[in-house]
Amino acid sequence: MAVKFLSPGSGVSGRGVNGRDRAERRLAVRMAAPSLVLMALVAAVPIGYALWLSLNQYSVRTAGLSRFVGLENYVSALTGPHWWAAFGQTFLFAGLSVSLELVLGTAMALLLNLAFRGRALLRTVVLLPYAVVTVVSAITWETMFQPNLGLVTNVLSMLGLPGGDVVWLGERGYAMAVIVLADIWKTTPFAALIILAGLQVIPAETYEAAELDGASKWQAFIGITLPLLRPAIVLAAIFRTMDALRVFDLPFVLTRGANGTESMSMLAYTQLRENRLVGEGSALSILTFLTVMAVSVVYIRFAGGNIRDVAKEEQ
Amino acid sequence: MDLIRRSSAFQEDTAPLATGTAPGAGNQRRARTAAAVAAAVAVGLLLSGCGGGAAPQGADQPAAADPASADSAAGNLTVCGGKDASGIYKGTTEAFTAANGKVTAKYTEIGATTDEARTQAVQRLEGKSTECDIFLTDVIWTSEFASQGWLLDQTKLVEANKERLIPSTVETTKYEDKYWASPFFTNAGLIYYQKDKVAKPETWQQLYSEAARAPGNSFVYQGKQYEGLTVNFLEMLYSAGGEVLDDKGEVRIDSPESRKVLDFMVKGLKEGSADRAVLTYNEDPARLAYESGNFGYQRNWPHVYRLLNATPLAGTFGVAPLPAWEGGKASGVLGGWNLAISAHSTNKAAAVAFINFATTPDWQKHVAMDFSQAPVNEDAYSDAGVLAKMPFATELLASVKGAKPRPISPVYPQISQAIYKNVYAVLSGTASTEDAVKAMAGEIKAAKASF
Repeated sequence: MAVKFLSPGSGVSGRGVNGRDRAERRLAVRMAAPSLVLMALVAAVPIGYALWLSLNQYSVRTAGLSRFVGLENYVSALTGPHWWAAFGQTFLFAGLSVSLELVLGTAMALLLNLAFRGRALLRTVVLLPYAVVTVVSAITWETMFQPNLGLVTNVLSMLGLPGGDVVWLGERGYAMAVIVLADIWKTTPFAALIILAGLQVIPAETYEAAELDGASKWQAFIGITLPLLRPAIVLAAIFRTMDALRVFDLPFVLTRGANGTESMSMLAYTQLRENRLVGEGSALSILTFLTVMAVSVVYIRFAGGNIRDVAKEEQ
Repeated sequence: MDLIRRSSAFQEDTAPLATGTAPGAGNQRRARTAAAVAAAVAVGLLLSGCGGGAAPQGADQPAAADPASADSAAGNLTVCGGKDASGIYKGTTEAFTAANGKVTAKYTEIGATTDEARTQAVQRLEGKSTECDIFLTDVIWTSEFASQGWLLDQTKLVEANKERLIPSTVETTKYEDKYWASPFFTNAGLIYYQKDKVAKPETWQQLYSEAARAPGNSFVYQGKQYEGLTVNFLEMLYSAGGEVLDDKGEVRIDSPESRKVLDFMVKGLKEGSADRAVLTYNEDPARLAYESGNFGYQRNWPHVYRLLNATPLAGTFGVAPLPAWEGGKASGVLGGWNLAISAHSTNKAAAVAFINFATTPDWQKHVAMDFSQAPVNEDAYSDAGVLAKMPFATELLASVKGAKPRPISPVYPQISQAIYKNVYAVLSGTASTEDAVKAMAGEIKAAKASF
């Protein structure tokens, strides 16, 4: 990256262009510097500090006592069973909830894009679940799935459907299902809104042209809508995946991490806050951070290219 | 299950740090001791300076609360704690301000939940904030806060007030032979039962067998994976004669009693003494389930009495102390809140005066009458005014006096996790009793070896 930056377009463009290009780039660096410094302060400093904390142990018995342990906190996290269990559970949660949210979000966006009376009102109303504080909605879901009293369990048993006598939050699998459901309910509108924005920039003429060519609605959807919607869907996927991998409040309220629902963030929280094991907890936070980073890099490598391609095509 | 770090060789080497002096930390420790002595002298000078004839503070008594300083207290006092649901915190600061005349006390809410209040308190204490003079501390925080040097030693104050305090509640403020807080109000589990369906429980065995007799008799308790499950398990374990740590702090949970209690709880879930739904219940869902009228027994805290009386169940339920284990005795686990003085308080004399006021027998009656909390003064429980407002005061006193503190250790949160996670694993059927008991003991030992 750095080398490319210092000699832009080397071996491709002429000298004159190269010189002007270089001056312009220097100006760009100078203009970007203040915000880069600011970003370093707000992002890099805390991360660096957490990194430092994670290389030490802090006594929980004697105030102010600490010692440098190098990578020991990481080794014990990566060789113990808890990190990997939480890792797997978090990815299972993220995979299920994000993919379902994207499918439902696309469907919702298509509906909201139709012309009908009260569309503006409905667009606002569907966002309501997203406006509810997660902890509050988690408590509501907990009540709804409560055996004996809960709305869901009662309705299921009234209709004679299976699941009415299941202790949802007390069983493996079922507990995860409730958490995924609560997340879908809350964030599908968010995904829908991003995808709706993508839908609105698709020019109407493309559909008219497709219609003239005799394409069916379904063919138009597969051949036009989806490909042109890809950048928006990918953007929604990035946002949602980042969020889902850091999930904390839903399992914290609904199960306290029981029955295979403990997430990476919960694990870090328990060590940092409840146990005040600052070094161990920071190591877990850094591991969570690295995991989320790695996933976003993968996304941006693929999706970023995709977004650029689409931009080029539109030009 | 080792959320708790497995102890490495390095850790074992330095484990005696807690009691002795480790070579590596020697200098740091000496420096800190010197600083503590200096601070104590400074505090001593300050206290004797403004306290007139107050007893001088010895340099070997680092930062201790002086009972005599209360007489000359003046100025402002800030009491910090969690959400004031019953109004007791605000009510006590107002009554104290009116009664004292020279000190103006106010209550500052620093967190909506217990967990949040602890986080906020820890942040202030770590940051040496002078905002709060007194922190309301959950009984299980004492050793953790005391070990960090965050609190003023209240030994003399507690000794001076000991006559009027129930001994089991005083025990919750103890860490390494000193008292670090004064009990304010206490808490102990009770059994609520439907008089028309089931008998008053005398033993856990009787309760479980009656609960299994009909579907509408079953028992609700707090079986979710959280602190409450530790309490529910320890209540039975203590009554069965088991313990977590002995007097010397050795781990004693790997015992026949632990196995007996776990098997008993599992059998109860299988035979219908308790509905499997208890695995998802903390306090409120348990109460709500019981309010449906489909249950015979409920284990919960005293505050539920008032709430149950506001439902159609009013008049149909009875209140009993926690039952005994068959062939054993009745016991329980103490809850409640203590008053701890911050080591960084700028008005320690006023803090002492506040604590003196809050623990007087007279104010302790108001604790029960006005705020429905369990007093730490025994006479309050037989007061006519209290009995009128809290008809189960006699049963509550029996529960409080029989109850024991939870394990006293600066790593209590880890110990509790080791208990509730393993108990949950057994109850939900993912671990055997044998494995869980072994895991519990191993994890508690590892937690105790924490740096």
